[in-house]
Amino acid sequence: MLEIKDLHVGVEGNEIIKGISLSINKGEIHAIMGPNGSGKSTLAKILSGHPAYEATAGNITFEGKDLLEMDAEDRSIAGIFMGFQYPVEVPGVNNAEFLRMAHNARRVNAGEEEIDPLDFDELLSEKMKMLGMEKKYKERNLNDGFSGGEKKKNEILQMAILEPKLSILDETDSGLDIDALRIVAEGVNKFRSENNALILITHYQRLLDYIKPDFVHVLSKGKIIKSGDKALALELESQGYDWVTSSN
Amino acid sequence: MSDTLAEPAEEMAFLDLHKKFIEANKPNSALLPLHEAALGRFETLGFPHSKHEMYTFVNTKKLVAAPFAISNTSTSIPEDVIESHIFSGCENSCLVFANGVYNPSLSKLQAIESSVKISSMSEKDDLDQVIASLENENDVFACLANAFCADTMVVEISDKAKVSVPIQVLFISTGDVSAPVMHSSRLIWKVGKLAELKVIEKYVGVQAGYFNNAVQDWMISEGAGVVLTQVQADPFDAWNFSKTRVYQKRNSRFHSTNSSAGSALVRHHFEARLEEEGAELILNGVSVLGGKEQVHNFVRIHHEAPQCVSHQHFKNVINDEGRSSFDGTVIVNQGAQLTNSNQLINNLMLSNSCHADNKPNLMIFADDVKCTHGATIGQIDDEQMFYLQTRGLSEKFAKELLTRGFAESIIQTIEFPEVVNELSNTLLKKLEASNV
Repeated sequence: MLEIKDLHVGVEGNEIIKGISLSINKGEIHAIMGPNGSGKSTLAKILSGHPAYEATAGNITFEGKDLLEMDAEDRSIAGIFMGFQYPVEVPGVNNAEFLRMAHNARRVNAGEEEIDPLDFDELLSEKMKMLGMEKKYKERNLNDGFSGGEKKKNEILQMAILEPKLSILDETDSGLDIDALRIVAEGVNKFRSENNALILITHYQRLLDYIKPDFVHVLSKGKIIKSGDKALALELESQGYDWVTSSN
Repeated sequence: MSDTLAEPAEEMAFLDLHKKFIEANKPNSALLPLHEAALGRFETLGFPHSKHEMYTFVNTKKLVAAPFAISNTSTSIPEDVIESHIFSGCENSCLVFANGVYNPSLSKLQAIESSVKISSMSEKDDLDQVIASLENENDVFACLANAFCADTMVVEISDKAKVSVPIQVLFISTGDVSAPVMHSSRLIWKVGKLAELKVIEKYVGVQAGYFNNAVQDWMISEGAGVVLTQVQADPFDAWNFSKTRVYQKRNSRFHSTNSSAGSALVRHHFEARLEEEGAELILNGVSVLGGKEQVHNFVRIHHEAPQCVSHQHFKNVINDEGRSSFDGTVIVNQGAQLTNSNQLINNLMLSNSCHADNKPNLMIFADDVKCTHGATIGQIDDEQMFYLQTRGLSEKFAKELLTRGFAESIIQTIEFPEVVNELSNTLLKKLEASNV
């Protein structure tokens, strides 16, 4: 599904990612872990098409198409979803209306008709219930004044509404208390299928207690320095990043 | 009147016009002392020059040079024209001012008769008070409005009245595109103790070519609450100046939202005095400007007593060669301890030739207060754009959504769905057409 080959990424002239190769197939969950400043979020940004991040070498293909040639909108329509570490507040834009517009953008591009507003409301209510979100978040403006935890839930809600093929969740666990983390993780698990894939970017192992990855990659100084299965995450948790960064 | 010093030509033209106005207004000579006092004040102040403190950002040269005639106050406006401007829910609670003068036959008061009294100012005390307040009136256009008001209406809301329907005040100008006309409205609201009322004011024109210069006072008694929504929707070739003075007693509330579509020149002057403990003032404003439209806000809030609250939030979306300014000062007097005041102005600039001036200001003479102020001038936020695009929205659509959303956050504070709907279909429509 996603092929990253010898990717180098710079932002404002500084090279942050210095040669990453990674292959992700349908149905897989990949966790990307690493200390602060290792390039985790940069990887998320380049995958989602942030204009400030530039691939200086290497390439990325998504279902055979050159991802780096696509802008953020086209990537979304192609089926890539980015769950932001810091979701942006958009005052004045109603949350439910925004979700419907995003859902319709995907449908229209797939050649389908726009969803009936009442049907959408039903769909939205069902997904919000799954995430334990109160109804009032339909009426509120997009992320505007939401707590950290509600913002993250709103990201997962968008994921559930957009049904992407590949989701990149950037530090989705940060800012969540343990109950919210459990609810969010359950939401992600319900959404999982053999047809979609997930990249979890996280600093801590704790999220991986709830969402079990098939692969764990450790990123340090812009490179993947170790890959393994979920046992690697547990080992990192007990020994710290020094264990793996110093051994390389 | 000073006849020894030569007056500049523009002032002379207005003095001549005033003579005609007094002649035409003879039947209502009770207001003569007000007209003369106001004209005297006008002569003392003179028209503003570019360095004038109150008009730093507002160029009134074209306005004062326009060869105005006095508007015909006995003009007839078809009822269906009036009806088209009345919001649903206000059909039996609307006050119509045609060319500045209250028109009883076009107004409909059935729904509010029991608690609201509307009359021409007749008490000598009232007149003396208005004349006395002119001594401190430094806004020359407010003086002109007093000098040229054909009538002064007093709206009294009785103590403890809960006015169940919103009152709409329609200021409609007939205008004259071939020769510009001017008129003034003068309105005094006396809101009784613990009374509650909601008012929607709308400014419109049948055609362009007029200068509507309005002054209104709000005397809000102890514990009373007022929600005021102002909608400025004049045609482009019109000038609209208004001064709104608010005097608030103990624990009273005044919540106001102004929406402005702009015109050749629109200026709002708000002056509020929180005179007694616990008074609360909210002043919000939004404008969406394109072409050469202008809207200017001038705000002075005086915290004169402890424990009062004032919030201001003004937002402008400016495209093409539009122009806006905000000049706002909060004055916290000595003794006004535990004041809580904030002021925020946000401008969203959509073109290279649009213009916004901001002058937020705080003057604090008490030592235990919480005051903030801020102003931003910027373009559409890149991170917001990116966020929406990652959800599959096109660049054009995301821009429109953010621009609308910017203005909508103020519009959403308006509690009348009819007004919100109308603004979505008029004010916000401008953002679709303007290729943002």
